[in-house]
Amino acid sequence: MSERASVVRIEGLTKHYGPLVALDSVSLDIHAGEIFALLGPNGAGKTTLIGCVSGLVIPTAGAATVLGWDTRRDYRRTRRVVGLVPQEINFDPFFTVEETLRFQAGYFGVKLEEAKLTEILEALDLGRKRKAGTRELSGGMKRRLLIGKALVHDPKVLFLDEPTAGVDVELRRDLWAYVRRLRERGTTIVLTTHYLEEAQELADRVGVIDRGRLLLVEEKRRLLARLGQKTLRLRLREPIAALPAGLAEAGAVLAEGGRVVEITRPGEAELGSELASALGAGLAVRDVDTLRSDLEEIYVQLLKKGGA
Amino acid sequence: MIGLEARRAGEAERVERRGWSGFRGPWTLFEKEVRRFLRVPGQTIVSPVITTVLYLVVFGYALGGRLREVNGIPYLSFIVPGLVMLGVISNAFLNTSSSMFIMKLQETVVDLLVSPLRYGEIVAAMVGAASVRALLVGLLTWAVAIVAQGEVLLVHLGYAIAFPLLTSVGLSALGLFVGIWAEKFEHVNLVPTFVITPLTFLGGVFYDVGQLPGVFATLSHFNPVLYLVEGFRFGLLGTSAIEPAFSLAGLVVFDVGLVLLCMGILRSGWKLRS
Repeated sequence: MSERASVVRIEGLTKHYGPLVALDSVSLDIHAGEIFALLGPNGAGKTTLIGCVSGLVIPTAGAATVLGWDTRRDYRRTRRVVGLVPQEINFDPFFTVEETLRFQAGYFGVKLEEAKLTEILEALDLGRKRKAGTRELSGGMKRRLLIGKALVHDPKVLFLDEPTAGVDVELRRDLWAYVRRLRERGTTIVLTTHYLEEAQELADRVGVIDRGRLLLVEEKRRLLARLGQKTLRLRLREPIAALPAGLAEAGAVLAEGGRVVEITRPGEAELGSELASALGAGLAVRDVDTLRSDLEEIYVQLLKKGGA
Repeated sequence: MIGLEARRAGEAERVERRGWSGFRGPWTLFEKEVRRFLRVPGQTIVSPVITTVLYLVVFGYALGGRLREVNGIPYLSFIVPGLVMLGVISNAFLNTSSSMFIMKLQETVVDLLVSPLRYGEIVAAMVGAASVRALLVGLLTWAVAIVAQGEVLLVHLGYAIAFPLLTSVGLSALGLFVGIWAEKFEHVNLVPTFVITPLTFLGGVFYDVGQLPGVFATLSHFNPVLYLVEGFRFGLLGTSAIEPAFSLAGLVVFDVGLVLLCMGILRSGWKLRS
């Protein structure tokens, strides 16, 4: 992973709003072609961080570069390769969906070709609304239009700030599929989200930010393996009063009134030997189940601890 | 810059060149702004023209019947330059101030702030579009006045073009500044209600300042709108209470100052970027 090129490099980024420290010397590298999920509670600094790179926020200290260009000194170059889907829905009621997309492309100095326009409209399921005024769109459609606007100039880096907030489940899954397609085509994606399921589903790497401090940055799989847990659940034919000696020493516990034996191990551990021991101890097992802690549990755990 | 950095820079350059046109950005913003006011022509073009024409009818015909002439010029013709400038001034200001304020309100200003548009390009496009609206209103008002007068009065073409054009630029830039500064609709209306309208009405639109009693005539010379109206009057009618070249020089300074101010605040991010 260390060999992968950094598309976005953030160094010591700090933002103060009066006495409030929104970002506290955050340093972070976003790798080419990855989906990076930035997690954190409300007011953690996620949107401020994205704003500093995309040009909406002026940092108090520190710097950010995109493809090697400084976002403040070379703002015209960096903005040309960055796309932003803001958290708040915005739309100009004077114009149609097509006009909105064409204008947005124009701001970036790009003529929106018909093929590209059609591709975006179809991908975001807005084809039938091409000539519709933006005020006629539903909330979900307006959010998809925001995504379309961020894509018209073929950005190398796409920032998605809570992209599926208020979007129904079916559409959310469609958007996830589209985000994956963008990544496959080489777009680097940074997303902030409240939906940990979204990060778990999409992200290659995860960053957790709280009160302006970046608590952790790690590959999602490693994080789940390192901080996550796996639980082997053995449902018995008959309840038992006490565990066989070997199993109790191995950390197994009884649950559900003696009907279930649970053995919990770190996320990366293999559970084959535990299962063999349980069967070897003579337990009459009716069913076997494994539970894996998800990102949400790890996230809550991290925020409680304030880091890892 | 070597190795990886150089490759990244090269990639950025390639992205920059592909299908990119430097002029398209500001032109798009200009086009969008023009289309925006053309979407509601009744409100942005017809309504101001009708209002100004009503002034023409009421003051030109009703009052003009009594005044007959000002400095040897029929009263109806005398008030035409002021009425045209009234339309130019108010529409130039309103277009940029309302557009920028609404963009902030709807948060569509984000689209501009994340774009690679230069600050000067944003100012040029927005001021340019507002000037188109202002000059369109001015031109239509003048056209109605020509019909009412029954003749085309145009003595100094250069001044007749320069004053409305430069006035629209300056007032559009002022409107842009107010639109950026404003935090509520009341702020947007503050300047037209308490500054532009009073100054316009007291700026020699309907009367000759030379005929005012001493102190009022002196006070009138502190009113910048007077210089705009008199300058355009010189262009159309060949008569002015103030040296038009002097007014024009002042107007150029006013325009340059406001355009630079707008570029400066866009660059600083004041009221737009956090």
